[in-house]
This record gives sequence, structure tokens and C-alpha cells, in this order.
Amino acid sequence: MTISVSGVTKHFNGGVHALSPLNLQIDTGEFITVVGPSGCGKSTLLRIIAGLIDPTDGSVNKPDTSMGAFVFQDAALLPWRNVQKNAELLMELEDGFSKKERVTKALEVLKQVGLEGFEKSYPHQLSGGMKMRLSLARALVLRPDYLLLDEPLSAVDELTREVLQEEIHTLWKFTKFTAILVTHNVTEAVYLSNRVVVLSPRPGKITHIVDIPFKERDRKLRSSPKFAKLVGEISGKLRNGH
Amino acid sequence: MDIKRKLYFTLPPILVLIIFLLVWSGFSNFIYADMAFLLPSPLIVVQSFISNFGDIFDAAMMTLSEALSGFLLAISIGITSAAIMSQSKLLERSFYPYAILLQTVPVVAVAPLIVLWFGFDERSVIIISLIISLFPIINNTLLGLKSTSINLVELFQMHNSSRFVNFFKLRLPAATPHIIAGMRISAGLSVIGAIVGEFIIGSGNSNGGLGVQVIYAQGRLETALLFALILTATLVGFLFFITVSTLGHQLLRHWHESEIA
Repeated sequence: MTISVSGVTKHFNGGVHALSPLNLQIDTGEFITVVGPSGCGKSTLLRIIAGLIDPTDGSVNKPDTSMGAFVFQDAALLPWRNVQKNAELLMELEDGFSKKERVTKALEVLKQVGLEGFEKSYPHQLSGGMKMRLSLARALVLRPDYLLLDEPLSAVDELTREVLQEEIHTLWKFTKFTAILVTHNVTEAVYLSNRVVVLSPRPGKITHIVDIPFKERDRKLRSSPKFAKLVGEISGKLRNGH
Repeated sequence: MDIKRKLYFTLPPILVLIIFLLVWSGFSNFIYADMAFLLPSPLIVVQSFISNFGDIFDAAMMTLSEALSGFLLAISIGITSAAIMSQSKLLERSFYPYAILLQTVPVVAVAPLIVLWFGFDERSVIIISLIISLFPIINNTLLGLKSTSINLVELFQMHNSSRFVNFFKLRLPAATPHIIAGMRISAGLSVIGAIVGEFIIGSGNSNGGLGVQVIYAQGRLETALLFALILTATLVGFLFFITVSTLGHQLLRHWHESEIA
């Protein structure tokens, strides 16, 4: 499940030049994070990879049969559906899931993300963190080959954010999808990824790719000196990125 | 404590009503005592209501059924045409200006034409009621269908949903609050439309709806009956509005900000 981005550029109609020619190879099962200053085109890159918008030049190659899922910044839930019905949504849109299968899988994935007991609640009754859990559950229930995450934790508080990072890591480790995360939070990038891609301000181009060598990702890692050193290094690159 | 709170909310408007009725009685009994046909006292209005209850009730039922037909037609035609316009910018640009004309055309002036075309009967009344209540439904539905959150649209796009699925699973449910807002405006308008329609066909029949009875009562200077009819017409409109509001509340109470306590 290699995704390759080759020579991708993007000019918007209004004349905004969002991305310079950009090449990137994402390997199967890899967790890669794109960081960059606001407005550098990182979300645009993610949407181009998703196939939601077309690049002006260049192309994105991924296997035809691959299934992708997108996790949006604001959770993007359907407010008129309860938690369980939200978890079933993508299985309704994609063919090949029977009604019974949808229910079983939805209940299973809700349990997995800790939303058991909230099946009949409505999104407005959930906290920000729970909404994001539901959004992740909705995507993961499809067993996607790749998951695209667009600043999924930017709207939750610091404590919830760390807990959710750990949960995303666990989900990734056990369900083995390829993940591409966009964030402006360097700590989050270092904690979750195998590689961190640093983009320059608009028009975004890759200035650095940093390998993250950690084997174990637990709470202790966050307070270790080598973790702090990498975070500092990438923050520095982000600041001098042009 | 609870009863106290309830009184706190219900007592002031009731007091206002009582004072209003007292002032009204005072005017009609003392100041206009020799011109009772201009301003009959509330008591006489109630008496007239009771003694004419059978006729008023029949007339109200007739107006109600005409308004309901006009309203239901407006809902189905309004939602359908908004749905069609929401499917393409070209369709919207082609037809929306004419939808606005529905709103700006003086219904009272068009009504005689409608009656010429469709006859001096219920059909014309229903069509006039339809014309007056159609625009708020088209306008609000269209706005609702176009205001779907961009992230949700992208989510559906990501999973290759068809236009059909997109409409029924996303755009239409997302537009319900707007549609209901439109329906609430149209509910009252449809009753007004029916009464305007009845005015126009009125002279011909003596046993028509409330509008017909109003013309009839005015012609015979039965002011008390006139008051009773006006009151009834207002109540019918109010009943319509409350029904639509309750229905809307049932539909939205789980999820829309406007209905979540």
C-alpha cells in the first residue's frame, strides 16, 4: 500500500499558490506526519491525496483497490443521527455491508474506542474528545488501508489530547493502517510518527524529512530527553523553514 | 415554588387581557353606547359566537380544509422545486427569479383572475392559499439544501456517494430546520390566503368558509358576528402554527440547537 505523491502543485482559482512541486513516498503501514505553519497548504496536500481536490500538476498514485478514510478537524458528525447510526454511516455509503453486519461492526468499534454505553446518545451530548473518538470509530470500522487525519485533535483540551494521541497510537499499532496526519503540534507529530515532514510557508514545499526512531511509545517517552531534543529540533526547522 | 413560577409567567398576559376586555367593555357600553354596531361589547361578541356556533364551526372547518390543502400543496411543490434548483446553479439561476415573483405579486389582485380560471369554488381558494404560502417554503428549503457543511460534503464525496444518496442521507436531513422554519411562516399565510380567496368568491355563496361569512356579516352590519368570525379566523391560523411548531419540535428535538433545551 505505497502512496506516492509526485510533482504535485496547486494553484487555486483566486491565484493563491498553495503548493510547490512536492514529492513524497509513504510506505505501507507507516505513520507519517506533515507539519507546517498555518496556511502552508498541508490540508490541501491531504485533500489532494484523498482525491477530494485535483492537483494543478503532478499526480498521486495509490493502489486502485485501496480504501481510504478521512478524519476531519471538527469531527464532521451527522447531528441528526445517534452515535451508533453515525458509526454505521460509511458502511451504508460503501457497498457490501448487510444491515446486520453494520450493527455488529458499529457496536464493536464503539467498544474499541470507549464509547460503549453511548450508542443511543446524540453528538451534541458528547464532549469534544468523545466526538473525535466517534469520528475515528466511524473511519476505522471500514478497516481502511490508509487513514488521513486533518488536525483531528486541534479542538480538544491538552489532557484529552494526550490521551487521544495514545489511543490513536494503539489503534494504529494493532489495526495496521497507513496513516498521514496533518498538524501544527510538533509534540504530537513526534509522539505518533515514523517520519515527520516539515513544510515551508506558502507555497508549501518540503524543507526537511525527519526520521523518528522510537520503538516504544508510552507516557514515559514524552518526558525523556531524546523526545524533547527531537521536538526542539523540528520546532527549530519549522521556524527557519524558509 | 413551582406554582409560583408558573403564575409568574402566566399571570401578566392574563392581567393584560382582563384590562383590555374591561376597557373595551367600558368604551362600548358608555362611550359608543348609541352606536353598538360599531363596537359591540365583548359579552355580546361571546353571545353571538355561542348562538352562531354551528355556522361558525362549519365555516371554520371549510376554511381549515382549504388552507390545509393549500399548505400541503405548497410543501410538496415547494420542497420539490427547491430540490430541483439545488441540483444545479443553472437551474437555480433560471427559475429562482420567478419564485421571487410569487412573493411580490399582489395576491389580492391576482385572485380574481384565479377565480375566473378555476371557478367560484374551493379549487380557486386552495390555489390562492398555495400561491401565498409557496415562496417561504421554496426559499428556506433552497437555503437549507445549500448550507450543508463542507466537511460533510467531502466525507460523502470520499466514499463515492451518488447524488441520490447525497440528497437523502445528507442534504435533506441537514435542511430540515430550514424547511420547518419556512413551514412555520407558511402555516399562518395559508390561512390568510384561504380567507382572501373566500372574499373573492364570497358574494356567490352564502354557506362558504370564514371569509365568505365575514363578507356576509359585514353586509348585514352584524358586527358582533364579524368580531366572532375574526377571532375564529385568528384561532385557526394559530392552531396551524402550533401544529407545525410541535411537529418541528418532534423532528428536531434530538439534534438541532434551536430545540435542545
